[in-house]
Amino acid sequence: MWPERAVEVQVLSSAWEGARGRPFRALRAAGSNRVSKVRTAVQDLAGQAIDAAVADGAGYADARVVQRRAQLVATKNGEVDSVSDSETEGIGVRVLVDGAWGFAGDPRLSKEGARDAAARAVAFARASATRAGARVELTPRPPAVGDYAPTVERDPVDVPLEEKIALCLRAEEGMHRPEVKITEATVRAMREQRVFRSTEGASVTQRFVECGGGIDALAVSDDGRVQNRSYPSAHGGSSAQAGWEFVEGLGLDREASRVGEEAAALLTAAPCPSGVTTIVVDAEQMVLQVHESVGHPTELDRVYGTEAAYAGTSFLKPQDLGTLRYGSEHMNITADPTTPLGLGTFRWDDEGSPARRQPVVEGGVLAGYLASRETAARIGRDLGGSMRADSWSRMPLVRMSNLHLEPGAGSLEGLIADVDDGLYLCTNKSWSIDDKRLNFQFGTQAAWEIKKGKLGKLLRDPTYMGVTPEFWGRLDAVAGPEEWRMFGLTNCGKGQPGQHAHVSHGTSPARFRDVQVGVRS
Amino acid sequence: MTRALELAERAVKAAEGDEADASVHVESSGFARFAASAVHQPTLIRDEAVTLRVVRDGRVGCATTNRTDDEGLADAARHAAAAAESSPVDPGFAGLQEPAPVPAVEGYDDATALLSPEEQAGAAAAAIAAAPDLGLYGYYTSGVTEIAVASTTGLAVSQAMTDASVLTLAADDDSSGYAEATSWRASDLDPAAVASEAAEKAADTRGATPVEPQTFRAVLEPYAISELLFYFAFTSLNALALLEGRSYLSGRLGEKLFDESFTLWDDGLDRRNYPKSFDLEGVPKQRVLMVEDGVARDVVWDRRTAKQAGDGHVSTGHALAPPAQAFGPIPFNLSMAGGEAGSVDELAELVDDGIHVTRLHYLGVVDPREGIITGMTRDGTFRIEGGKVTTPVVNLRFTTSFPALAAGLLGLTKDVTLVNRSDFYDERYPFGTLVPAVATSAFTVVGTGSGPGL
Repeated sequence: MWPERAVEVQVLSSAWEGARGRPFRALRAAGSNRVSKVRTAVQDLAGQAIDAAVADGAGYADARVVQRRAQLVATKNGEVDSVSDSETEGIGVRVLVDGAWGFAGDPRLSKEGARDAAARAVAFARASATRAGARVELTPRPPAVGDYAPTVERDPVDVPLEEKIALCLRAEEGMHRPEVKITEATVRAMREQRVFRSTEGASVTQRFVECGGGIDALAVSDDGRVQNRSYPSAHGGSSAQAGWEFVEGLGLDREASRVGEEAAALLTAAPCPSGVTTIVVDAEQMVLQVHESVGHPTELDRVYGTEAAYAGTSFLKPQDLGTLRYGSEHMNITADPTTPLGLGTFRWDDEGSPARRQPVVEGGVLAGYLASRETAARIGRDLGGSMRADSWSRMPLVRMSNLHLEPGAGSLEGLIADVDDGLYLCTNKSWSIDDKRLNFQFGTQAAWEIKKGKLGKLLRDPTYMGVTPEFWGRLDAVAGPEEWRMFGLTNCGKGQPGQHAHVSHGTSPARFRDVQVGVRS
Repeated sequence: MTRALELAERAVKAAEGDEADASVHVESSGFARFAASAVHQPTLIRDEAVTLRVVRDGRVGCATTNRTDDEGLADAARHAAAAAESSPVDPGFAGLQEPAPVPAVEGYDDATALLSPEEQAGAAAAAIAAAPDLGLYGYYTSGVTEIAVASTTGLAVSQAMTDASVLTLAADDDSSGYAEATSWRASDLDPAAVASEAAEKAADTRGATPVEPQTFRAVLEPYAISELLFYFAFTSLNALALLEGRSYLSGRLGEKLFDESFTLWDDGLDRRNYPKSFDLEGVPKQRVLMVEDGVARDVVWDRRTAKQAGDGHVSTGHALAPPAQAFGPIPFNLSMAGGEAGSVDELAELVDDGIHVTRLHYLGVVDPREGIITGMTRDGTFRIEGGKVTTPVVNLRFTTSFPALAAGLLGLTKDVTLVNRSDFYDERYPFGTLVPAVATSAFTVVGTGSGPGL
């Protein structure tokens, strides 16, 4: 889901990730010998955990040590709303005992913490084994060994908070209008180290650096109507695995004036009409469309029903691979955990499978699934690695990494030029899709009517609905590479207990014919 | 002294020389998650997190850590101080909570706190065994959570809470039924009975057919009305939304907006819910009457919004921890008054011709100012004909006005049910809503979806 629940609140701490970074400080402060010692100490802990698990009876064990530090700066109406700096660390141990899973997380990065986590994971696996069903099999993998670290110009966590606050306040200024009652700007920064070891010999250390930001304007009319606009994306803006140069390049202050103007203009805009029409969907809303109606249904754990009670299942079946008509020939979707700047970019996933670009939909036909070693073994195909956990305290799940709509050809203007009567829909506002990922209703912040190939007047409260394969079957054009943009989201929810994933989607604007718009209560 | 309070006081001391408060969360929990009648994701979690807020000359900064040794707390203090030092004065900051007596509440049960992983797995197994003819999906979970807040003002409060929940979806390719139960006492739960309820419901969903989209008269079971209510509450019964004009209640307090049978309050002290003694700034919980006989009365407040209102409002004890306060105060102990109906069947008689909804899926707020919410029904949607529940219906897309639904109430059951509302993201913080089943004249369906089942 995305975002998992509109009302899911992180009650107790930051609305963003907690974080922890002692080893990073050590890595920065010390020479290469010190770097090796810090990393080795963490690797040793992971090794002790898997050794303890095996001693307790595990047939397979892996351990992840995660250390994360994150910052959030939020300003509102020209004042600082929140400045927070958080860290978290711990070890998560996953085991197979008699073919049944067990998992335990412990915050103590010590021998005691590692061994306790291992013992508890084994005990829970053993207790669950009587109701564990078929013995879990994992598709074979050569043991992953190595390091991964991105190259960034400016580590975003090290950028002074004063600079972050100043950027937010500057961006807010441009949104001011009499009708705009609330302006908000946020920036975030994170760095994380993940060490993974398994009883199969895997031993990897990966480092991740993320940052991002966004702005929002809320306009309120004298008679109480409310409208909002956001940039570059709703739901906290957009993020990337990048240095601070990414945030500076977003152009929050450059776009602020337009955002404020459009929020104000929506107050007096006509409502989106109801009917069946042609829609051109902007790149930002296409992110949600891809995420909800392609990303989640192609998660193989959902296909096999393991998310049925909560997030739901999928209209897809294992045997649909290679044959199911998902959409028109213009539809090409790729899972790519190697995309530069992607929030889902890694060298190995959280069970040691190497990153690999793979098609998910090719020419409108289902061509791949997102998989784990367990689900890959079950379907009998090597589908790459898509297992990710949101922290040391959660078991990895099948998650999206970077899932892209491949570009077609031509410009946005070209898409619009070929519409006699329709709508151009921009920026997600509301979202809902059924448990099989078929019936959806999405809303956007703004729409512009299209008349005889030209954009016309602004419309408020646009919504559209459809059924996934029928909707994608109505795709008749995707704009070209020059219109392709990647957005990084930090709030994809799944699992019980719940987990957030950070994912990226690259999309171009796309055109769909004969779509129901203007759903009213 | 609880572990949480010990950590909170140590954290405040680590911020030597500054005004500071610390909110602490300590968790130990187990989650026996199952699918297709097999436990597949058994997860045990231990963690403790300290959020330290430092105030320097009106400038405020926060830091959170789960490193609770002296070095970790000192680092958190340094980070919080650096954040405060970097910030301009926060004119909205309402100061730190002064010490005040907090009410004694229930909500902690030794037996629940001590449940072992073996017992958690055993409860899951009992649920699975009770639905032998269908696949069972869901979880059994229990945990113990300690919350504490300490401050340089001398504030020092703490509370231990337990919680247990069992959630079940019984399903095959063509049928699905749902049931859940939650309590702060694990002994209140009967996992087998919950699974049986789900299986019985599933059996009735075979052969579902579509209905024509329209505004239906409808019965909503507690699972369904609970979710709608909480989405409405999050966006409209929150003082920040009220003050910013985003709430349905903005400019409408004092007006009769709903049916007279609709009365709603938040009560952290209610032992039938998940009792809470104080909020995450250490403010004692107050009972807040939000809707009385259909008239909008109030929303919940924290210290910041009370100051922002500037009209004599005080915090009602509904603050989140400092870094999360951008959401505004949240009613975590909602209660909706029951009515006269002795059963859900009696509600069906009031509806006469309409639909029966067991559960909802993936809600989205289309228009918070007007309280319009979209989502799907699932795992037990039926026709009501001649005042009786008759045949199964496919999943329905609804886009409905919650205020219109509450204005069109036809009846409510006398009994109310606690429905868990936590999805267990991040730190565990048990909360739920106490709601009856309801009958309404206004549940707007705008489309049809797939049938029940996997």
